[in-house]
Amino acid sequence: MMDAKNHGLVERLTEECLNLYNAVFRRSQQLQPLLDSSFRTGALKRAIDEQRTARNEMEAAVDRILSAAENMMAIDFSDPDAAATEMANCCGEIMEACSFQDITGQRLSQTIETLCVVDKSLDALATDHMSEGDAGVAISDEASLLNGPALPGNGLGQDSVDALLASGKKS
Amino acid sequence: MAVDLKMPVLIVDDYRTMLRIVRNLLNKIGFSDIDEATDGKEALEKLRKRTYGLVISDWNMQPMTGYELLKEVRGDASLSSLPFVMVTAESKAENVIAARQAGVNNYIIKPFSAEVLKAKLKTVLGDF
Repeated sequence: MMDAKNHGLVERLTEECLNLYNAVFRRSQQLQPLLDSSFRTGALKRAIDEQRTARNEMEAAVDRILSAAENMMAIDFSDPDAAATEMANCCGEIMEACSFQDITGQRLSQTIETLCVVDKSLDALATDHMSEGDAGVAISDEASLLNGPALPGNGLGQDSVDALLASGKKS
Repeated sequence: MAVDLKMPVLIVDDYRTMLRIVRNLLNKIGFSDIDEATDGKEALEKLRKRTYGLVISDWNMQPMTGYELLKEVRGDASLSSLPFVMVTAESKAENVIAARQAGVNNYIIKPFSAEVLKAKLKTVLGDF
């Protein structure tokens, strides 16, 4: 026979098990979109491939534009007609190379959609986790200085940088 | 005193394209002796083997960043007075302040124009 004291203990343990189950279930649901095999082998893999391809396409386009610019700088203007033809060819090269923007833009749009799925899941997970008292992980000072290009409106402009540098020299 | 445009200049960036752009801009200004490195470590090795008149460096590179390179240069008695210009996409105030405190001579935000580069180099080196 179970006495009243043991009965209370069993009730408490049962409640804790239920809470634990609910927490695990909630986390697994929050991560479900990321754990789904079609997401990992489909959208996520595609986004990574799109990024790699976009980087290569951009590099190739810039290379092509720079080559055209270098060719322009080397044009011999002693023969105006030949120079004009060569200049027109170089301009055509630059314009063609700039078409990468359209394709790269589409690749980036696809990647943004995928990142939004990741962001949504991680956000839900982080909110849940932080509510349990996690203050987050500190990063080193050196690492905090490696942010990469700022998104529009987030970084300093050249004028502000100049002002900062000048203020240091005065002090 | 006019700047000696024949002085060796070291440009440091892990992007081949950016090295090419800066090299072309420097050529256009009139600099003719331009050397390249793809990270701070390689740059430091070059700086210790040859006397340069100017370093133009990116920040975000591996294994050694431009910021670490700057601190190494300023900490080395034989290099400490070398003009050092940071050209980077790192545009937060903390970056500029950290670079200033480490002794950077000027700081240019990417993307930049030929005019900005020329103006900053004049500030650092004098007229040319």
